[in-house]
Amino acid sequence: MLDEKKKPLVQVKNLKMHFPINRGILKRQVGAVKAVDGISFDVFEGETLGLVGESGCGKSTVGRCVLRLYEVTEGSIDIDGTDIATLSGAELRAKRPEMQMIFQDPQASLNPRMTVGSIISEPLDEHLNMSKAEKREKVGELMDAVGLARRFADRYPHEFSGGQRQRIGIARALALNPKFIVCDEPIAALDVSIQAQVVNLLEDLQEKLGLTYLFISHDLSMVRHLATRVAVMYLGRLVELGDSETLYMTPKHPYTQALLSAVPHPDPAQAGNIDRVILQGDVPSPANPPPGCTFSTRCPRAEAVCKQNSPEWREIGEGHFAACHFIE
Amino acid sequence: MLNFTLRRLMFTIPTLLLISFIIFIVLDLAPNDPTGNLPLTIPPEVRAKIRASLGLDAPMYIRYLLWCQQFFINEPLNLMNEWFGWCIGDCENRLRVSSWATRSPVVDLIAERMPQTLWVVGMSYVVGIMIALPIGVISAYKQYSWFDQAGTFVAMVGFSVPTFFTGVLLIVIFSVWMPNDSIFWLPSIYDTTHEVTDWSSFVFQIRQIAMPVMVLALYNAAQISRFMRASMLDNLSQDYVRTARAKGLREKSVLLVHVLRNSMIPVVTVIALGIPQVFGGAIITEQIFKVNGLGQLLIIGIEGADIPLVQTLTFLFAVLIVMFNLVADVLYGLLDPRIRYD
Amino acid sequence: MTLKYLVAGTLGAAMLSTTALADAHMAQGRDGNVNIIYWQAASIMNPYLSGGTKDLNASSMVIEPLAHYDETGAMVPTLVDEIPTVGNGGVSADLTSITWKLSEGLVWSDGSAVTSADVVFTANYCMDETGGCQQLAKFGDVESVEALDDLTVKITFTGPKPFPYGPFVGSTTPILQAAQFADCMGIAAPTCTDQNFGPIGTGPFTVTEFRANDAITLAANENYRDPSKPAFATVNFKGGGDAAAAGRAVLETGEFDYAWNLQLAPEILADMEAKGVGTVHSSFGPLVERLMINLTNPSAELGDERSTVAHPHPFMTDMAVRQALSMAIDRPLLVEIGYGQAGKVTCNVLPAPAIYDSPNNAGCEVQDIAGANALLDAAGWVMGADGVRAKDGVRLSILYQTSTNAVRQDFQALIKQWWSEIGVETELKNISGGVFFGGDQSSPDTFQKLFADLEMYANNFDGTDPEAYMGSWACDKIPSPENAWLGRNMPRHCDPAYDALVAEMAGTADLNERARLAIAMNDMLMQSYTIIPLVHRGNVSGVVNTLEGVRLNAWDSELWNIADWSRAE
Repeated sequence: MLDEKKKPLVQVKNLKMHFPINRGILKRQVGAVKAVDGISFDVFEGETLGLVGESGCGKSTVGRCVLRLYEVTEGSIDIDGTDIATLSGAELRAKRPEMQMIFQDPQASLNPRMTVGSIISEPLDEHLNMSKAEKREKVGELMDAVGLARRFADRYPHEFSGGQRQRIGIARALALNPKFIVCDEPIAALDVSIQAQVVNLLEDLQEKLGLTYLFISHDLSMVRHLATRVAVMYLGRLVELGDSETLYMTPKHPYTQALLSAVPHPDPAQAGNIDRVILQGDVPSPANPPPGCTFSTRCPRAEAVCKQNSPEWREIGEGHFAACHFIE
Repeated sequence: MLNFTLRRLMFTIPTLLLISFIIFIVLDLAPNDPTGNLPLTIPPEVRAKIRASLGLDAPMYIRYLLWCQQFFINEPLNLMNEWFGWCIGDCENRLRVSSWATRSPVVDLIAERMPQTLWVVGMSYVVGIMIALPIGVISAYKQYSWFDQAGTFVAMVGFSVPTFFTGVLLIVIFSVWMPNDSIFWLPSIYDTTHEVTDWSSFVFQIRQIAMPVMVLALYNAAQISRFMRASMLDNLSQDYVRTARAKGLREKSVLLVHVLRNSMIPVVTVIALGIPQVFGGAIITEQIFKVNGLGQLLIIGIEGADIPLVQTLTFLFAVLIVMFNLVADVLYGLLDPRIRYD
Repeated sequence: MTLKYLVAGTLGAAMLSTTALADAHMAQGRDGNVNIIYWQAASIMNPYLSGGTKDLNASSMVIEPLAHYDETGAMVPTLVDEIPTVGNGGVSADLTSITWKLSEGLVWSDGSAVTSADVVFTANYCMDETGGCQQLAKFGDVESVEALDDLTVKITFTGPKPFPYGPFVGSTTPILQAAQFADCMGIAAPTCTDQNFGPIGTGPFTVTEFRANDAITLAANENYRDPSKPAFATVNFKGGGDAAAAGRAVLETGEFDYAWNLQLAPEILADMEAKGVGTVHSSFGPLVERLMINLTNPSAELGDERSTVAHPHPFMTDMAVRQALSMAIDRPLLVEIGYGQAGKVTCNVLPAPAIYDSPNNAGCEVQDIAGANALLDAAGWVMGADGVRAKDGVRLSILYQTSTNAVRQDFQALIKQWWSEIGVETELKNISGGVFFGGDQSSPDTFQKLFADLEMYANNFDGTDPEAYMGSWACDKIPSPENAWLGRNMPRHCDPAYDALVAEMAGTADLNERARLAIAMNDMLMQSYTIIPLVHRGNVSGVVNTLEGVRLNAWDSELWNIADWSRAE
């Protein structure tokens, strides 16, 4: 599946995002939540990279950092040859059209006081010099593209259903012809019946417009369906990354194995045959992660070395990476 | 929205009538005697005659109906006569609501008080809002910065230190300690007879309202800036703000177009609900600086058991409160497209 | 404004008078503006419709009576050339009428002549039953007021009136202009807003703008009888705030020239005066803070008969108790704590004017706890185990009421302490002034009902004649349910000898003889300890140093001589 000729559109190197913890009367910084603690990956042009992990593992933070909605603590994010982690405000704004995001909660992510038309056209005002008629036409096109009737342009977001709102969010993201879109759990807040529609829409758009996705989700089956490659995250770090098919069939990292074993099997008759790996305990606090391998506190295979040394992020197969002391 | 407004307006009529009746009963039951503050040298027989001449010997419901007739019929007719020259009925000898202490129409007294109340209390409200909004916005945007800490402290002080303290403190600093010939010297007593006719009289007016306006503005700003800050913080953490940033908008547009506009919805409501207080005057501050606005009129009326004056003023405040509640609701509907009243 | 009045005044003076010095220094309006602050704002300029001191004082700048009282309590002619007396024939020999003769050439501020018809009109205006006139008492015994000619007015009384100077003497009963108030008789009186706010008068000033309960601006009366007065062209009469702010405005910032009635804690006033901007003036009228003993039983068990003469008080009828209560009080301390410059110790309930001040009761200024205890011991009141004296099962336990007022509550606390030292138990009660002094029949807390063992308040009388005041402790002035609790004989004092003195005074015209009778009545009340005087209270006003000519007057309006005020160089 891996195409050697494909070149990376996005290259993330050693990304760290630490949020300060402020306490006391004067709100002094007393520590940091290490939401993302040194991760590296590439996203190739035209592909969909799935990013999975439990709630709170930092995957949404990764998405926001990659678009620099947060000021990253450390690391570089190359998008189409430019390191956006160090761009100044004006340069960053100029770069914004190339990269967009689709948010998890379509209700909250749309300004309730703006009409759909103005939500979609606002980035056009900001970045392009278009006449009113051109803008109206562009908004119409975008609404067509996501399957919304043009006459809805003067309505407010609260007048739409959840699925329609997510379409508005997608239309808005597409307005500036981006190359790269971060989809931050775009279907998590939707009814199951609607989820498929939105996913299909995303796939259609990718095909038509040649988009590149970073698809963040906790829904492993949906990621398997959508993603070319999949990265698994635990407590601010990547534990395994590989071709979607390979990773789902032969997960190497104990955490990936545990995660995959939790996916419900489509055939209940066979479900009993699967060896479920039940993880003990809770995810440790990212403000105070365990030393060595961060997974060591819950890992069924953990040994003394895991508590001392952090495992190296290394290639264990062709395009297959993992961080574990015991993978050969 | 229009239907809603009309329906609400219709509903206010019985509400206000009920309020006026309750005010009347409460004032009537209060152990107060309009001749109680007269010198003791006035003998009781004369007091009884004075009370009779004020109509106090009539039964309560007759006095209430008389007030209703005077207030709801005679006063509006009189206003029409004065403003448009329309004369309906007996324009010359129409019985108006009259104050017992001054023997003059209550509505004229109120009209006479309006300018200084609006100058001082109204101005302080405007100044308070103008100070509060930027402070609230910046405090929220730079949460926990030194600016926010300072803003919190000032708001706490403004909110908790009573105006009779800040008022007297300012007088001591600017009127007593400051030499009389200094340009920073400010008069401690408001001259209500002063008329603004030219630049220098305007400057004098600014000087004489400076202290009461500062005292009240501090108090108003303290409240409103807190509302503004809280509302901004609510909205700053919303996803649509992140969306706006992702769109590549300038930080200024993100803040002013997206966050501020949404944050203003509850703040505008709070501001509208506070407006009746402007007309109600600031009793304590008016007393301290001798502004003699509506608040002081009410206090004098209460002290002197001037029931027609107190009744009319209190009722007008009730009207304002009911009206501005409606205004706040309508504004809310206009500002927030999610609200539908029909 | 100043220039206009300067010129007008100068011209007027030059034309009217050839003998007067007509140079600019003596012209009307030469000293510009004077700022007066009254912390109670004036609400009306017609004293017949308001009993408030603030209103009387404000109106006294504009409208004037026939004669004023000066600061010693003596009468001075204002609109007349001399005060009528029996000696000069102005008062009839049978004391039933008085004839006033207006000065020649007097004009109102609008230029029309002042005539006897105005005086007659004013009397009828107030005596109209339906008008609610607040000075009606001044006209109490008046049978008729008639004009004998353009300048002569004869007031006839229903009987002999030894002191016939009630109507039209003092600022409470000024002359109104008949032409202006013609339509304001009776029930129309309160509707005449323009007249009540801007009466035409003969006084040194006229109203330019009247803002009720706020501020009054006045300008010099161009037709004032003395063309060189007033020295001030305009008056800004500001009302509102509180006594402390008024004192500050005169004594500390100098923004105002004159502040009325600075009822402030003595030490605050002293601090303000120390700034050197102005000084505090005081004057003493007949106002006395006193304790009124209830000689009848106020027990609630008596129902409708509480505090009536049918039931004598269980222990207050014992003079030893009343005397002991008086002896235990340290009056100089009360003065120092409560009033400072605005108070003096008094042992008389009638301490002023000077000719009525009894010399016979000196000695009360010295507190004598030991003496009071000895007196009670001798009278058989035995100290109980609980520190309260008793006799025949009756305990000396007192309910002591007064109006709500910081100084009065301080006094209550102090006096309670002193009385506890002589074995008297005291329960304190304070009642809102509006209720206490208000005549509400349904309230049990009025000072007339006196449902307590004693009460404290201050009282005085208008003008200089104490006849009616002293007469209020006659038997027929006792408040009771029968007379709807009217009357001012709070102690329910009833003594035929006292009533005889009251009757004798009513038939005596000679001033010295009247003084002897008043002193005798005062001494009866004092020596029976029916009324226990505490403090002789004065008025305190603040005057800025550059203001000259203020003669503080307890017997008339404080502004009675504002025509003579001027600005120091």
